Amino acid sequence: MTVVMKMKDIFDCKLLMVDDEPELRKMVNEILRREGFVKIISASNCNEARQIFIHEKPDGVILDVSLPDGDGFSLLSEIRTTSAVPVLFLSARDEDENRLLGLGLGADDYITKPFLPRELTLRLRAVLSRAYFPVILKRTEKPIFRLGKTKIDLNSGAVITKNDQLMLTAKEFALLEKLYENRGNIVTGDSLCRAAWSDNLYGYENTLMVHIRRLREKIEPEPSTPRYLLTVRGLGYKLTGVEDR
Amino acid sequence: MKNLMKILTRYVLSAAGVALILLVVNFAALITWTTQSGKTVRKNYDIAQIADSLLRSDGGYTLPETARNKIETNRQWAMLIDNNSGTVIWSLNQPSEVPQSYTVSDVAGFTRWYLNGYPVTVWKHPDGLFVLGNEKDSVWKYCVTEPMAIMDNAGVWIIIILILNSLVAVLLALLFGLRLFRSLKPLAKGIEDMAEKRPVELSTCGLLGDLAAGINDTSAQLKRQEAALSKRDNARTTWIAGISHDIRTPLSIVMGYSNQLEEDAELPQSKREQAGIIRRQSERIKTLVSDLSLASKLEYDMQPIRRSEIALAALLRQTAVDFLNSGLSDSYDLDVIIKEDAQNAMISGDEELLRRAVSNLIANCIQHNPNGCAIKVTLEKTLGNCSLTVSDNGVGFKQEMLDDLNHPKNSARLENHGLGLTIVRQIIKAHGGITKFYNLAEGGCTVVLSLP
Repeated sequence: MTVVMKMKDIFDCKLLMVDDEPELRKMVNEILRREGFVKIISASNCNEARQIFIHEKPDGVILDVSLPDGDGFSLLSEIRTTSAVPVLFLSARDEDENRLLGLGLGADDYITKPFLPRELTLRLRAVLSRAYFPVILKRTEKPIFRLGKTKIDLNSGAVITKNDQLMLTAKEFALLEKLYENRGNIVTGDSLCRAAWSDNLYGYENTLMVHIRRLREKIEPEPSTPRYLLTVRGLGYKLTGVEDR
Repeated sequence: MKNLMKILTRYVLSAAGVALILLVVNFAALITWTTQSGKTVRKNYDIAQIADSLLRSDGGYTLPETARNKIETNRQWAMLIDNNSGTVIWSLNQPSEVPQSYTVSDVAGFTRWYLNGYPVTVWKHPDGLFVLGNEKDSVWKYCVTEPMAIMDNAGVWIIIILILNSLVAVLLALLFGLRLFRSLKPLAKGIEDMAEKRPVELSTCGLLGDLAAGINDTSAQLKRQEAALSKRDNARTTWIAGISHDIRTPLSIVMGYSNQLEEDAELPQSKREQAGIIRRQSERIKTLVSDLSLASKLEYDMQPIRRSEIALAALLRQTAVDFLNSGLSDSYDLDVIIKEDAQNAMISGDEELLRRAVSNLIANCIQHNPNGCAIKVTLEKTLGNCSLTVSDNGVGFKQEMLDDLNHPKNSARLENHGLGLTIVRQIIKAHGGITKFYNLAEGGCTVVLSLP
């Protein structure tokens, strides 16, 4: 825990990169440095990785599945006996995906080769933040956003207009939160139902429609001609025009 | 086993038939034989004629020349015994050991049996008893006497005997047939097993041992071939997986650097665009590599199918939304139509694979109609199956491609249009469904997936 305390942000993490291809190591190294990570150590096989792991105690590991002297899965099992360090797998085989999905190996995430630099950095940052800056610390803060002149505070579930303040019901809140998370994108009726009622859409079509209508009455200036909460016929709904405070 | 029963029945029936025919033929032969020989005897020998031609003439008897010749050529002899005295009153060639007078009991004896070893026949003459004698040992005499009751029922008896005969024939045939059946049964079972690819190890003892050994050999041969085939399939899939694995690492480096160049603000716009092209083409290779690997695994049943209960309507909506959210151009119109009866259609299948099948179809519509088209995804229930249709109003399939898709000769063939549609068909097949590709009369094409 002392480590966590000392750490200012995830870029302070000491990273261990294990892959047998030197060119790939070099590229990943570059990508990570560009992103802002500074402490990066590389290893080209299991044995080297083992040594470095003991002496350097890295805060995060990027691990290739197939290595010349063993596979990443067994190396992970070894690591897991002594440490809960976040591990991101790099896999080059479709079969690995099956194992990664099927077995609870204790990997935090995985990327299939070939990958774009952005994929790698996004996933790595997610894995590291989850491990060292857990959501619990940030949970108190939910977004506040605007739809035109209406302000919506997801902390209190309040819809604030110039001369009025309305409260969202629990279901309306769940629906709006889901729509906000996917703002600008279509959300299927199925996903909305799972968010609000933890069930499939079948049988809830009318209920969903009624709740969307009530939600519109609260957030739309003209509920009959919606501008922000749009219907995508046959598929679902979409929240547009969101301005983050 | 059913066939074997049929063979047995036929065998028994034909055996019974053979027995019956033999019986009838024998009867007929017996009857013709007796009547024929009876006729020959009667032709040479008519005692009534001879007896009637013996006439009394002034105290003696005369036999006409013809009758006398007949007796002599047949080496017979004759005599006439007086009715009152029992003495011989006329004779011709009478052997010396034959007595000259007879009592009633003598007469009764020789009419039935033999006279001093001579077979004789008798005829009534106006003056006594005419006796015609044959050579010794030339005729076999047996007197048949049966109670009237037996002769009355002769017809019934003959029928009963016939029936009994055929019954015995059938029983015997059944017995032998059953023995044959029992020895054939393991062979039939062996052939059946062989057809279903189960190992066959028959006992090679007994009459049909050679046949059993032959079946064993064939089964072992099949087993070897199957093993060789599956080894080859395995090797091919492993080989493809290996290649795709080896391509992925260098491709990561190509994609990584080209993407960095693409986003490098220091480079001129044209160079960044070129880097973007390299990156996009690398992504195409990436898709191709994973398609190739998946297609080969599906082809040889090596892709694990993770089954779960899937709401198809939700899957279709999500797939369509994913396309729309990833920035589908406005020139495309993507519609999802779920028919009333299919709203709650659930099937057991691999969600990831089915999603891939549907998105491959939508992607195919987009790829082949770069100027835009209207894509319609429909789900309905037909005859208990879920029927999933993806159609567009675009350019449609070329005829030879349509033939290829509907009647694949070599399903893992790499077409110039990639493996997308091949994978769709393989995924649906792995789920026990059927894929059909059509061109629409009004333009465009449609692909129907039927899932149980």
